[in-house]
Amino acid sequence: MKAGLQLLAKGGNMGGNGETACGADKTVLKALGLSGGIYGAVPCAVDVRNGKILRIRPLHWDWKYDPTRFRPWRITKNGKTLEPLLKAAPSPWSLAYKKRAYSPNRIKYPLKRVDFDPNGAPGSVGPGGRNTQNRGKSKYVRISWDEATTIIANEIKRIHKEYGPLAILVQGDGHGECKMVHAPHGCSTLLLDKMGGFTQQVRNPDSWEGWYWGAKHVWGKGYIGMMAPNDNIVKDITEHSDMVVVWGGDPETTPWGFRGQFASRLLYFWNEIGIKQVYICPDLNYAAAIHADKWIPILPNTDAALQLAIIYMWITEDTYDKEYVATHTVGFDKIKAYVLGEEDGIPKTPKWAAEKCGVPVWTIKALARDWAKKTVTIGHYFGGGMARGPYSHEPARLEVVLLGMQGLGKPGVHQAQIAYTGMPKNVITGGADHMGPFANLQATPYGERLLKPHRGTPTAWGKQMIPKTMIEEAIKKGKVEFWGTGGHEEPTEDQYKKYTYPIPKEEGGTEIHMMWTDTPCRITCWNCGNDVAEAMRSPKIEFIVAQHPWLENDVLFADVILPTNTTLEVDDIMPCMRDGDSFQTLVRMRRAIEPIGESKSDYEAVCAVAEKLDMLEAVTDGFTNEQLIRAVFDGMQFDRLVSWEEFDEKDYFVIPYSEDWEKWPAGFYEFYKDPEGHPLPTPTGKLDFWSENLARTFANDEERPPIPKWIEKGITHDERLSSKRAKRYPLLVMSNHGRWRVHAQCDDIPWTKEALTGKVKGFDGYWYEPCWMHPEDAATRGIKNGDIVKVYNERGAVLCGALVWERIRPGVISIDHGARADFIIPGELDRGGAINTISPEGCTSRNAGGQATSGFLAQVEKVTMGQMEEWRQRYPEAFAREYDPGAGLCFNAWVIDKVS
Amino acid sequence: MGKKVFIIDVGKCNGCYCCQVVCKDEHVGNDWTPIAKPQPEVGQFWLMLTERVRGNVPKVKVSYRPHLCMHCDDAPCMAACKVEDAIYKREDGLVIIDPLKCTGCKACVDVCPYDAIYFNEDLNLAQKCTGCAHLLDDGWSEPRCADACPTLALRLYDEDDEEAKALIAKAQVWKPELKDQVKPRVYYLNIPKRFIAGTLYDPVEEEVIIGAKATLKASDGTVLTTETDSYGDFWFEGIEPGVYDLELSYGGKSKSFAGLDTREVEINLGDIPLT
Repeated sequence: MKAGLQLLAKGGNMGGNGETACGADKTVLKALGLSGGIYGAVPCAVDVRNGKILRIRPLHWDWKYDPTRFRPWRITKNGKTLEPLLKAAPSPWSLAYKKRAYSPNRIKYPLKRVDFDPNGAPGSVGPGGRNTQNRGKSKYVRISWDEATTIIANEIKRIHKEYGPLAILVQGDGHGECKMVHAPHGCSTLLLDKMGGFTQQVRNPDSWEGWYWGAKHVWGKGYIGMMAPNDNIVKDITEHSDMVVVWGGDPETTPWGFRGQFASRLLYFWNEIGIKQVYICPDLNYAAAIHADKWIPILPNTDAALQLAIIYMWITEDTYDKEYVATHTVGFDKIKAYVLGEEDGIPKTPKWAAEKCGVPVWTIKALARDWAKKTVTIGHYFGGGMARGPYSHEPARLEVVLLGMQGLGKPGVHQAQIAYTGMPKNVITGGADHMGPFANLQATPYGERLLKPHRGTPTAWGKQMIPKTMIEEAIKKGKVEFWGTGGHEEPTEDQYKKYTYPIPKEEGGTEIHMMWTDTPCRITCWNCGNDVAEAMRSPKIEFIVAQHPWLENDVLFADVILPTNTTLEVDDIMPCMRDGDSFQTLVRMRRAIEPIGESKSDYEAVCAVAEKLDMLEAVTDGFTNEQLIRAVFDGMQFDRLVSWEEFDEKDYFVIPYSEDWEKWPAGFYEFYKDPEGHPLPTPTGKLDFWSENLARTFANDEERPPIPKWIEKGITHDERLSSKRAKRYPLLVMSNHGRWRVHAQCDDIPWTKEALTGKVKGFDGYWYEPCWMHPEDAATRGIKNGDIVKVYNERGAVLCGALVWERIRPGVISIDHGARADFIIPGELDRGGAINTISPEGCTSRNAGGQATSGFLAQVEKVTMGQMEEWRQRYPEAFAREYDPGAGLCFNAWVIDKVS
Repeated sequence: MGKKVFIIDVGKCNGCYCCQVVCKDEHVGNDWTPIAKPQPEVGQFWLMLTERVRGNVPKVKVSYRPHLCMHCDDAPCMAACKVEDAIYKREDGLVIIDPLKCTGCKACVDVCPYDAIYFNEDLNLAQKCTGCAHLLDDGWSEPRCADACPTLALRLYDEDDEEAKALIAKAQVWKPELKDQVKPRVYYLNIPKRFIAGTLYDPVEEEVIIGAKATLKASDGTVLTTETDSYGDFWFEGIEPGVYDLELSYGGKSKSFAGLDTREVEINLGDIPLT
C-alpha cells in the first residue's frame, strides 16, 4: 500500500470531497471504454457546464472511497513492485469523447432516402419506386419520428405477412459504447423476438479467428478459443517467465478500446524486471516500438512457416519436453512426420521457412535455441498479423503445439492475452466465473429485458442464422451452408455441425428481405466490403433501417435512418467487471447532456417503433428506466458489498480484491501437474495436436487438416507471394485494429487524428488514412512520405496517405482497418481508406467461417494531381460533399435539407 | 505555494497522446480568462507529443517526447514582450501570457527558443501552455496532461520535494546549451542518445555468431566493448552523437567499419556476414 498511498497524494484532482470540478456545475461518471455489451470499462469523470461538456478526465478510484477498502494487490519480482494505479487509464479517444457527442456527422433527425418510396413494390425502380440500386449513392431528406416509425412498422408488418418473421435480418452485435440499459446493439431483438423471431447475423470472432477456428480443436473450448483456464498468469509470468514472445498483436494499442492502458504499465514492469520481450510482427507495432528487446519482422500471415521451423529445430536438436509431449499430448508423431518431411518429402527446415516468411535462416535458428533454453510465454492482444489472415487456424494451432512442446502450464509457460485475463481476482470474480453476477441478473424478472440485447454479440441464438462473414453471400446466392455458427461462447463441437440458411420452410425458414442494423460498419470492419456494398443494393432486400448516432458507412445504404444518441446523453448504469484495468467497478452513469437533435437512445428508438405496432408494453415489460438501473444493482447482488444508498450517492463502487487471490493456480498448472486428474475438455482430455474430430468430420479438407500445416494456397485463398496474382499485386497488406479507432468507432475525432500516425494530410487538404510503407518500396514506386497513394487489387481501390518509414518491413504495407468509407465510386474506389473493402471474399478457410482481412495481396501507386483532377471531373458529387478535415464528412454531406 | 517543475520520464512515455489530447479537451472551446483564451480546434499544440523513429529495419525503436512551454525562469518571451506584465511569471514558477493584455505583436512567438508559443490568428493572441494554472488555483495538484498520463511519465512536482530533487539531479533540460541562459522548468529523464547495432552471422553455416567481441572507438579515443547476444546482435546503446570506428571479431576472423557517423542518426549495420 505504500506506493499506492503515494499515488493517492497525487490523486486529488476531483475538486475535493464532493465539490464539482473547476468551472463545472455538475460531474457525472461514464464508462468510456468501447467494448460495449455487458463489458463496461474505463470509468471517466465528465464535467458539465451550462449543459455542455466541459472536460473528460480519468476517474480517480479514491475520489469518494478510502482506497484501503479496495485491498490493492501487489506483485513483486527482483525487489520491484507492481500495484494497481489509483486512477483509471483511459485511451486518448475516451478522453476526447465529447468530440463524438458533438461530431458534425451526428444524425440530427430521422431521414429517408430521397428516392425511396415505401409504397413502391419490391424491386421497383424510378419515381415512386424503392430504388434499392441507389443505396449508398442517393442522399436523404428529413422526416419526422412519426413518419419514420410508421414506415418501419408497416414494413415489418408487410414483411411478416409476405415472408414470415425470419425474413428480417438483425445486425445488432459487436463493439460499441458501454451502456447497459440503453444497449448500443441488439435492442431491436427485444421487439422482434416477441413478434415471432428474426434472422440473426452471428458476430464471428473478428480479432482472434485463428484461435477460435483452430486452437479450440487442440485445447478445447478455452475462453472463446484462447487458453483457459488463465487465472493468475500475470503474477506467474512475472515470477517465472524469462521471455515473452509477443506474436502478432499489439498490447499497446488494442487494449485501449476494451480496458484502457493498464497493459502498458505491465509491459514496462516486465521490461524493468528483465523479462525479455521479443516481438514477431511485420510492423514495428506500438508495443514493439517501445518494449521490444528484439523485433523479428515477418511477412504477414507466414507465421506458420516460422513455427514449423522452430518445431523442426526442437525435434532435430532434441530440445523439447519429450516427457510432457508423451503424457499430455496426442498426435505428436504425425506432427513430427510432417515437420521432418516424412509425410510430404519437404522437411520444414529454417531454410524452407526463411523463403516463406522472410526471416533469415540464422535468426530462425537463434530464436528456436533461445526459446528452448528459456521459460517462455507467448503474448498477444488480439488482432495483428498472425491471427486474422487466410488459414489463420494453422498458426493458431501451431502455437499451441509450440507451447505444448515446452510444457504448457509449467510455471511461466502460458498463452497470454496480456492483462486481458489472468489478473488478480476481486471478491466477485474470485470463487466464481466472472459471468456469475450476470447469471444472477438473468434469473430476475428484469433479466430478459436487460440482457437480451447484449446476447447477440457473444451468442448464436436466432431461430435462423447467418455468420456475419457471409452476409453478402447469403444475399447474393440466397443460400449458404456453414459449419459452426461462429458464436463466441459456442463449444468446439458446434464446428462439427452443419447449418444452412435458410432453414427449412416448415420451420419458418425464408430468405431475408429486410435488414435492421444498429451495427452499420460491415463494409469497413469485415471481409470484402465492396461485395457487401453491392449486396446491400439487391432488390431482394426490400427495406433497410439503420439506427445510429453518426451518418457513416452502412448507414448510407439504409432507406430509413433513426438518430440515436451517445452514452453522454443517456441515464444508465455499467458494471465494469473484467480484468485489465487497475480496479473493477460498478458505475452509475447519469445523463451528462441533453440528447443531440431529435436523437433517442437505441432502446427508446426501438420503443418508438414498438409503439406503432402496439408492442410497447411487450418490449418494456412495464419497467421504467429507474427500475432497470436499480435492477442491475440488485440482480448482480452488489447489495452484498455496498448499500444502494451509498452507491447512489457516490455514483460508483470499487470492487475490492479478493484476500486470497494468490491461491488460484496459474493457467494450465493443474493440467501440467496431473493431466489425468485435470483433463482438458478435448476428446482425449489432452492437447490434441492431431484432431480426431477434424479428421472425421472434414476428411478431405486440405485447408484445415487434422494436424496444423503450412497452406500455400487452397480453394478459398490465393494470397501468397508465390501466387500468379503477386505479379500484379506484389505487396502483402498487414491490417490491424486501429490505434486511433475501435474498429469503425472514433474516426471523427480531430484531436487523435492529429497524431503523427493519425491521418496523413494530402495535397488536396483531405486527411487520408495512413499507409505505412518501407522507404525501399516507396522509392521503387516514386512515392514520398505524405503522398496520396492508391492501394488496390482486383477487388477495388482505396486511397491512403503514404507514411514512409522504418516501422514496416520491406514488401509489406500496413493500413489499419475501420476507416470511415467515403466512396468516390461506390463499391470500387474509396477515398476514406477503408482497406477492408478490398479484403478477400473468402472466410478463414472452406469450413471455418472467420474473416481473412490481413495478409492479402495488393499494389500501391502514387496518385498524381492529374489523376485526382480526373476523378474530380468524373465524379463531382463525391468531391462536393461537406467535409471537415478533422472530423471528416459532415451530416450535410448526405442530407438534402441542410442544417446550418 | 512551492515552485513547480515538470519532470517527464520519456523512458515511460508510451506515445498515447493523452497529454496532447486532454490539453485540447481543456482549452479548445473553453475560456479560462484571465489565464487563457480558447485554443484553436486543430493545428496548434500547447503540449505537442513529438516522435522520433530511431534506426532501420529490423533494429528500430521509437521515442516520444512531450514538448511544451518550459516555463523558463529567465524567459526570453518575457524579455521580448513590449507590454508591461502581458507575460508574467507566477509565484509557482509558471509563465503566463495574459490574454487580456497581449496585443498580438508576436515578439514572443519569434523569440521562444523552444517554439512553444503559437499565434492564434482569430483572437490575435499569442498562446501557450499555462500549466493549467486555472486548475492549480482551483486546488488541482497536477495539470490535465499529468492527470491523463497512464504511466505517470509526465508529472508536476514542487521543486523542493525530495523526490523531485533526486529526479532533477538525473534529468536534463531540452536544449541543454540553453540551460543557464533561460533556466527551463521542464526536466526530462531518459532522453535517448544514439545507438550502433547489427547482427553477426556465419554465412557458410547460416548461424548467428554468439559471443563475438564488438569494440567501438569514439573519435575522442573512448573505447566501448560488448559481445553479440544469443541472436548474434550487438548493441551500443546510449552513445553520444559522434563518429565511431567499429571492430567485430570472433574465432580469428574480424570485420571493421570506419567512420560510423551518428551525429544525426542511429546506425544499424544489418546482418553482417563474418567471413
